[in-house]
Formats: sequence, structure tokens, C-alpha cells
Amino acid sequence: MKQLNEQQLNELAEDLDAIHDEVMADVGERDAKYIRRMIRLHRTLEVGGRAMMPFGFIPPVFAAAVGSLSIAKIIENMEIGHNVMHGQYDWMNDPSLHSQTYEWDTVCTGDSWRRTHNYEHHTFTNVIGKDRDYGYALLRLSDDNKWNPLHLFQFANYALLSVFFQWGVGLHELEFERVRRREIKLSEKAGLLKDFFRKGGRQAFKDYLFFPLLTFPVFPIVLAGNVSANLIRNLWSSSVIFCGHFTEDAETFTEASIENETRGHWYLRQLTGSSNFTGSKWVHILSGHLSHQIEHHVFPDIPAHRYREIAPRVEAICHKYGIKYNTGSFGRQYWTVLKRIGQFSLPDRVRTRLSAPAAA
Amino acid sequence: MLSTVNTRAPLRWLGKQLFNRDDPGAFFDPLLAALNPMWVRGFVPARLVEVTDEARDTRSFHLRPSPRWRGFNAGQHINVIVEADGVRHHRTFTIASTPRQWASDGTVTLTIKRLAGGRITNWMHDNLCGGEVMGVSQAFGDFNLPETDRPLLYIAGGSGITPVLSHLATLADRDVRAPVTLLYYVRSQADIIGAGVLYALAARWPALTLKIFKTEEEGEPALMNEAHLDSVTGLDARQIYLCGPKGLMTLAADVLNRAGVAESQIQTTFFSAPFAVAADTPLGGAVTFGKTDKTVESEGDAPLLEIAEAAELKPAYGCRMGICHQCSCRKNSGTVVNRLTGKASGPGEETIQLCISVPQGPVTVDL
Repeated sequence: MKQLNEQQLNELAEDLDAIHDEVMADVGERDAKYIRRMIRLHRTLEVGGRAMMPFGFIPPVFAAAVGSLSIAKIIENMEIGHNVMHGQYDWMNDPSLHSQTYEWDTVCTGDSWRRTHNYEHHTFTNVIGKDRDYGYALLRLSDDNKWNPLHLFQFANYALLSVFFQWGVGLHELEFERVRRREIKLSEKAGLLKDFFRKGGRQAFKDYLFFPLLTFPVFPIVLAGNVSANLIRNLWSSSVIFCGHFTEDAETFTEASIENETRGHWYLRQLTGSSNFTGSKWVHILSGHLSHQIEHHVFPDIPAHRYREIAPRVEAICHKYGIKYNTGSFGRQYWTVLKRIGQFSLPDRVRTRLSAPAAA
Repeated sequence: MLSTVNTRAPLRWLGKQLFNRDDPGAFFDPLLAALNPMWVRGFVPARLVEVTDEARDTRSFHLRPSPRWRGFNAGQHINVIVEADGVRHHRTFTIASTPRQWASDGTVTLTIKRLAGGRITNWMHDNLCGGEVMGVSQAFGDFNLPETDRPLLYIAGGSGITPVLSHLATLADRDVRAPVTLLYYVRSQADIIGAGVLYALAARWPALTLKIFKTEEEGEPALMNEAHLDSVTGLDARQIYLCGPKGLMTLAADVLNRAGVAESQIQTTFFSAPFAVAADTPLGGAVTFGKTDKTVESEGDAPLLEIAEAAELKPAYGCRMGICHQCSCRKNSGTVVNRLTGKASGPGEETIQLCISVPQGPVTVDL
């Protein structure tokens, strides 16, 4: 990791705090209008998608219905749910947009997400052993983890995780790998499992039972459409999230390195552990502005649509301190993620031999 | 159909499964609000029919709540929900009109004075002109009329007259014969709130004795004193209602006490709209935890999270540095200062982060 001395770290913190305070002082009507517009769009797409789905026996209508419902779910999860739960709109004082009570349209309960993501992942970003989002305790993405032959198949694991992403995230807090190693007992997770089955059951009931049965004669079409919409949302959100921290140059940290961490050091870790991707306005919106993962990680509670506006200033600060501002097109960043998953599935000896000529 | 979602258990259960929320009826609010804001389910909407000038810095806001609103008794308050600069604000106001007016034309009147430094009262005066839709709570408060007719004495000051206006007009409508006296304290002639209503009542309703004292006009007797009580006949038999700013309330209670009035005769409504604390108010203050009904004193820049933990509460928390919002919770009233930005909050109900919020004066938190 890029090393800065104490004074530089303090200055870095001051520079970033200044941006934060300036934006938060300006937050108001424009941001409220923005999120309300997104919510209206979500409701319109969801109602539209569900209404069109029974007519899906006409192929273009099926495509439109699936498109509408999957975009609704993507917007709700990424731009509304994720950001609301970060407290980005708590200042609006609207109980339906309150970070601690919002419940989103996915299997993972809001409470579990707030613990594993908002607290663990955002506080201990990319600290191996502390940030369980790193590889989802399933993938080996750095040489901090010892290689074993099972890692040879991690590409298949990755594909499965992406397809069933909402279920994987829902069970993330189970810490199954630690249960298997007998570090914790399954009984300690009884509450979590109960919540998981309740929320997962609710999601499955809605998409795979209620709406198909409601439209009984065409239920296979509605079922297929709902499965497709969930699948599209799963693939997209997992890809976006993987691009945020698992690109080629995103750094990892050790537990020792964050002892007595200052605010400046925390900022530096967020800047170097995250990566952005570029794209059109709608790519940003559909990613919940996690395309600006770097800005999100330094300012998790600034309304996300502002990240686009402050990105040049954050980049300039990175430049000033010689910190790499990790960005590129979605395709390029995603390619480096796949490469990283592939590389670390190999034993270190093979991996270093393969990558050495490329590095030279 | 939406109205039955929240009341019928099976529909409510189904709504929860489909929309992941405890108030499933409100799921469609963003769409309904765009079509007709009076259709929303998340709160009881009320249309502002008209705004009229009442006195200096004082206007009456005439609202027509949706049929879901359950009505009120004379002297009760409602919370009004308005959105200013994207932020939802809750403020409590007393209804100045009568239940009879609501029954006949469906409107209620809030008579609101601009508060010096008050964000919302000023915003309402500057931005609302009629036609807007806002939210209202159901009515609450126990500044009620006596169940049987008996002699009454009202002592009101400034905008504390509002529940009294509702009481007096209701009594007059009932043509109550027992004597009713109002001692009303205002700064000057231009500050008399509800002057039209009061003079009209005094003219058509013989039981009412109306006395208005102008505390800042030349040649007039100043603050409330014993002499003002001398004109009130049969003081011992009267039920007494006090409503006004804190200074007047304390003074009146003192004067009544000296006149030998029993405390059981007096009913008070502590009328003081929440106001922003002065910027130089020291940090710290009495913190009340509403759910557990605990109050503790705090000093200096201790954040609410630490104060709550010292009081043996166990609020949820995460990073303890203002990032993760795990400890976000509702503040019911009072001002807090954000440790990171140094900015003071408003006085009303809103969401705050416990780990970086430092009380500035008394604060009530929903813990």
C-alpha cells in the first residue's frame, strides 16, 4: 500500500473532510427530488412489469415485462435500498426512507445487511480476516489465503455465487466456513436462520408462488419471467460489487495494519481498496453509483448521485498524494476481476510464473 | 381498497409479503402522490384551503383533512408534517377553530405566529399560500372543556390564545350561561390574535367578560398582577385555564397562589412551540430516553451513544465514528450538535446518529 507519513495522512483527511462538509451543507431539495424520482420510477417499472408478465405469451411483451421487472429490482436494490440503508437520506426525516428500518426487495434481511455490510465491510474494508465480503469467504483473491486444490474450481463457485447471489448474500452472516471449522456453533446462528427463512420465504412466495398462481392459466410464463428478472438482477449486482473491490489493483490489508488507525489512514485504505468503472448516466444509476465505489467508500453517507459530481475532486486529491485512482471501463475492470479469480485459483508458484512475463 | 390493507389482518399479511413493509398501503404513495396528494396512505393528508392574516406576524392556516382524520375536542393539538428543502418537519400546533366548524365544512384552523429564529413557522408564512397538501396527525392533548357547565377563568398570553379561542367559541355555540372571563395579555393592539372572533363573541354572548391587557403600550398597566383578579367574581368557584408563554404561566400561577386559589382548580397547557437553542448554549443537557422513560444529565461534548450506554441502555451501534449509521435513531425533540460538522440540528422530530450527536440543551430520544 502507498505509504504516507502522519502529516500527509492528516492533510488527506482534512482535504476529504472538506469535500464531505461542503456537499452535506448543500444537500437538500435536489437530493430529495432525485430519490423520490427514482422511487417513482421503481414503482412504475414494478407495477408495469407485473402487469405485463401474464401477457408474456407474446414474445416482445415477455421481453418488456422481464426487462421492466428486472430493472425495477435493480433500481430498488442498488440505487434505493443500498443507499437508503447507508443513511444517505436519513436527513430527509421520512420514515419510509429511514436507514435502520428500510427493508429491501431481496432475500438478505435489512438487519443482516446493516451488520455485515454497513458496519463490517465499510469499517474493515479489504482487511483480510475482518472484512468477510472479501471473496465472500468462498473465493481466494489474494495470497493472504493459503492455496488448496479446491481453489482450482473457484471459477465454478464464482459462477454459482453470481447466479444465486441474493441467496448467498442472505446467508453471508451465517459464516458457514467458521461453522464448518467448528469455531462457532450453528445454534448461535438460530436467530439469523429464522430471519433468513422468513425473508427468503417471503421473496420466494411473492415471485414464485403468489404472482404465478394469481395468473394461473399462464403461470409457467409468469414463473419463468420472475425467475429471469431475479437472475438478471443477481448477475448484474454481483458483477457491480465484484468490480468494486476485486479488480486487479485493489489492495488488501492485514489486521495488524489497522491497529490504532487514524481517520487519515482509514481514508487511505478506502481509496486504495476500492475501484471505479466508467459509463453512461444510466450505468451509474443502475449500479446504484457503486460505479463510484471509491467515492462511496470515503463518503458512504453522501447521497450517491453526488458521487459523479465530486469524483474529479477526489481524483485530484489522489493525484496530489500519489495514490492510484483505480478506474476504467466496466468491461476492462470486469475482465481484471475474472483474471484475478482465475489467477488465484492456481498455486502461487504457477501463478507467479504465469504472470511474471506480463509484468515485465 | 388501499384503506382496508392496514385494517384487515389477512390483507395486511399479504401486503407485508409483497412489499416488505409494515404499512403496505403506503407502497404506492410515490405514484399516488403524483396523481393526487390527497390519496396518500403514509400519513393523513390535509389540503391547505386558505391562508388569512390574523395579527402582526400571525396568520391562520385553514386546513381540510382527508376523511381519515377522526376529529378533535376543543383545546387539542395536532402535529403538522411539512416538507421544507427536502426535509420533513413535524411541528405541534393548537387548533384555534371549533369542532362545530369541522363538522359543518370539514375545515380546521391553525393560527400560527412567526417565531423569532423559528425555521418552520417562518417557512410556513413565507411559502404557503393555499392549495398545498401537508400531513396531519390525529388530535391529542387534554386541555379539555369541563364536563359540566361551571364558572370559568382563562388567562392567556400571546399565541397561547389559540386553544382558548376554540374553547370560547364552543361554549358560546352551546350558549353556556355560567360566567366566563378571559384575561388576555398581548404586547400591543397589533398583536391581538383572533381579535375579530373575540369581539364578536363578547358582543353576542353575554356570559363572556373579555379583558385584554397590552403589556407594552404606554399608559397601560404592565404585567399580570393581583388587581387584574379583583374584577373576577367568585374566583373560588371558577375552573381556571392557563395558556401562554412560560413567563406568564409562572407569574399567573404565582398570583393565583397568593390569591388563595387551590392548585386543583388550575389546568395548564404548557404552550411553548419548540425553538432552536441559541448558538452559544453550552453543550450537554438533560437527556430523556422516551421508550424507557429515563432521564439523565450530561455534560460537555459526550455523544448520545455514550450517554445512553452510561444509563445502561444498549442501543445498536457499529463503527462509533459516524460512518455506518447502525446507531441512527429518532430524536423526538431538542437540539443536538453533529460532532463531525459542528452543525446544530433543528428542534423537531428527526433521525440522528447517536455516536456523533452531542446534546445542546434538553433532548428526548426514542430509546
